Amino acid sequence: MFDLLKVLITKRITVENIPDLKNLDVSIFEKDLSKVCQLEPAVKQALSRSLLVRHLDTGSCNAEEAELIALSNSIYDISRFGIEFTASPRHADVLAVTGPVTRHLKIAMERTYKATPKPKIIIAIGDGACNGSVYEKTYACLGRVDQFIPVDLYIPGNPPTPEEVIKGFLVCKMLLAKKEKKNG
Amino acid sequence: MKSETTKEINVSTWLIENLLKEYTLKYKLISQNHFEFTIDKSHLPIASELLMNDSNLNASLLTITATDNRESIDQFEIHALFSLRKVNYIITLKAYLDKSNPTYPAITSKVPCANWAEREIHDLFGIVPSGIDLDPLVLHRDWHPGKDFPLRKDFLKDKQLPISDHELEFKFPHAEGLHQIAVGPIHAGIIEPGHLRFCALGEEIHKFDVQLFYTHKGLEKMAEGKTIPECLTLAENICGMCSYSHSTAFCLAIESLADISIPPRAAFIRTICLELERLSSHMADLMAICSAGGFSFASVHAARLREVLMRGIHKLTGHRFFRGFNTIGGLQKNVSDEYFRELLLKLNLFKTDFDNLVKLILNTDSLLDRLELTGSLSKETALSLGLVGPSARGSGIDRDVRRDHPYLLYKEYKPNISVNDIGDALARTKIRISEVYESLKLIKNLIEDLPQGGILVKTKSYLPYSPSLGIVESPKGESVHWVMLDKEDKIFRYHIRSASYMNWRGVAKATMGKNIVPDGPLVNKSFNLCYACSDR
Repeated sequence: MFDLLKVLITKRITVENIPDLKNLDVSIFEKDLSKVCQLEPAVKQALSRSLLVRHLDTGSCNAEEAELIALSNSIYDISRFGIEFTASPRHADVLAVTGPVTRHLKIAMERTYKATPKPKIIIAIGDGACNGSVYEKTYACLGRVDQFIPVDLYIPGNPPTPEEVIKGFLVCKMLLAKKEKKNG
Repeated sequence: MKSETTKEINVSTWLIENLLKEYTLKYKLISQNHFEFTIDKSHLPIASELLMNDSNLNASLLTITATDNRESIDQFEIHALFSLRKVNYIITLKAYLDKSNPTYPAITSKVPCANWAEREIHDLFGIVPSGIDLDPLVLHRDWHPGKDFPLRKDFLKDKQLPISDHELEFKFPHAEGLHQIAVGPIHAGIIEPGHLRFCALGEEIHKFDVQLFYTHKGLEKMAEGKTIPECLTLAENICGMCSYSHSTAFCLAIESLADISIPPRAAFIRTICLELERLSSHMADLMAICSAGGFSFASVHAARLREVLMRGIHKLTGHRFFRGFNTIGGLQKNVSDEYFRELLLKLNLFKTDFDNLVKLILNTDSLLDRLELTGSLSKETALSLGLVGPSARGSGIDRDVRRDHPYLLYKEYKPNISVNDIGDALARTKIRISEVYESLKLIKNLIEDLPQGGILVKTKSYLPYSPSLGIVESPKGESVHWVMLDKEDKIFRYHIRSASYMNWRGVAKATMGKNIVPDGPLVNKSFNLCYACSDR
């Protein structure tokens, strides 16, 4: 399951850089999920926590939204990981940003970012948010998300499949644990 | 067959010699069934009205768009496109506008559904349709109107203007007891951004309006100067829900320009995929309707069925949203018959499950109670707003591009078009249910008759500066793609008018009629429009 960890964290964040996860052998997830018990306590604790996600559309093409909605269906059933979508950014641990930033949504995006309490994780979902995708800069399209707000994790794809997004959310749990530790 | 040809000739000669005779300066045949009449700009409203009011033609407005030809002929061009549904004709009324004073009498004064199109032209080109209220539409109020017009050729592609915070303005009455409820642009659920504003008297909705175009990315400007394959990728990325319809419409437009017809196998596969997209989109709609109506059991059921379809689509085309499958002249890759047989088995199982879902939806009183008489839209209102797709058919308007302007294989495999006169949320739900059954039937017939053979033809040369049109019945309704190429086969102007664009005003109207605030989301979901499609 964690085979994509390395791929996912393509840009600045890599699993290797997270101190508690240095010894994590990702291959143990591939065959036998019961081996989760053998994880390091720190990792296990990080994975066991809940995660509240706030979705923020900054101009996406609706495909990412469709996949995020699909996460709640009975096949992917994201609540079994303790992950829920929340209605308000004030309750959120994670801001899941989709789409390149448009001129008309820039202010709304910055306000939502400010409204999310610390420690917060920002993930860019889909090519539009990660690198601008096919959308060039125009009068109304300002480009990728990390020009405006700091992004902690990138989940590329056009759109990424629900499996990839779930994996990304699990990584978020670890990143959040790390951030909390750092802040004391 | 012979009588049909004579009839066609009659219609065109009748148009030329009678209806539009005194206004026509010049006429020409652009492609089969597509006529272009050049008229004086002052006659645009009256000629449009003549077309729309003629009961023999059953005309409806497709779109109005403009081009900036100041470099070549020192003029702007305005193109108003009408579909004559009864006789399968497309009519373009074209007029030239002077570059120093680009104004013309607004078509909206005679054809009300042109309102958004003309306001958009004013925003993006600075062309003034005189005689109507020109509130900003596509560009929000912090863009300074009257100075910069992004779709003019002298506006640089990556030029950006400063952004400032501004209050939204709605023309709502102020009186004792009236209060406003603002929703958005960032919504509570996983939905796209848009600002909805209720003006309520207690629980009852007194007025309702929407501020859209938050996800406006300027795709039409982005497309200019791109090569055809680059623009196809852009067309696929207009919207996730209708991505295959958009890419097919673009391909149809370019293929009509190059005058090629795609191989039969490719046409079959494209038609199957269009119907598959309709299935999956309708399942998402039903899911949204059930969840907005507070019936989560059926909603979860529909969500599971949608995922089954999405996986089927993934297996067939290699992408959950059909991306990278279409190409000009056919398909990127062939799909072997085995996959289609497998799909057919899957769809048989799907049908059994869907039967159960339908029983659930149509026999649960609590849900029916929410849906019945909610968001009613009469046929007259729907006609004046120019609604398209399931929303129009739910209000008794009998229109469907698959029958009126058949493309791909819809001429041979005619779908039955279901129409419901009642016009409430339940009617729109029922239309979707019957369309799912119809699509299943179509897919089954198409797969059984699927021919062998190639899937791609080479394209020859394209006609420069000639308008071409691709119309496809997307899951939400007709979507119109209008393309013009320059001499180097690059995009000169690309105009997209999606189904959601036409239907948004219907949502606003339907929400206003005798509903309470909690019905707002349900009315919205019974249309289930894409924001990305209409904002572009």
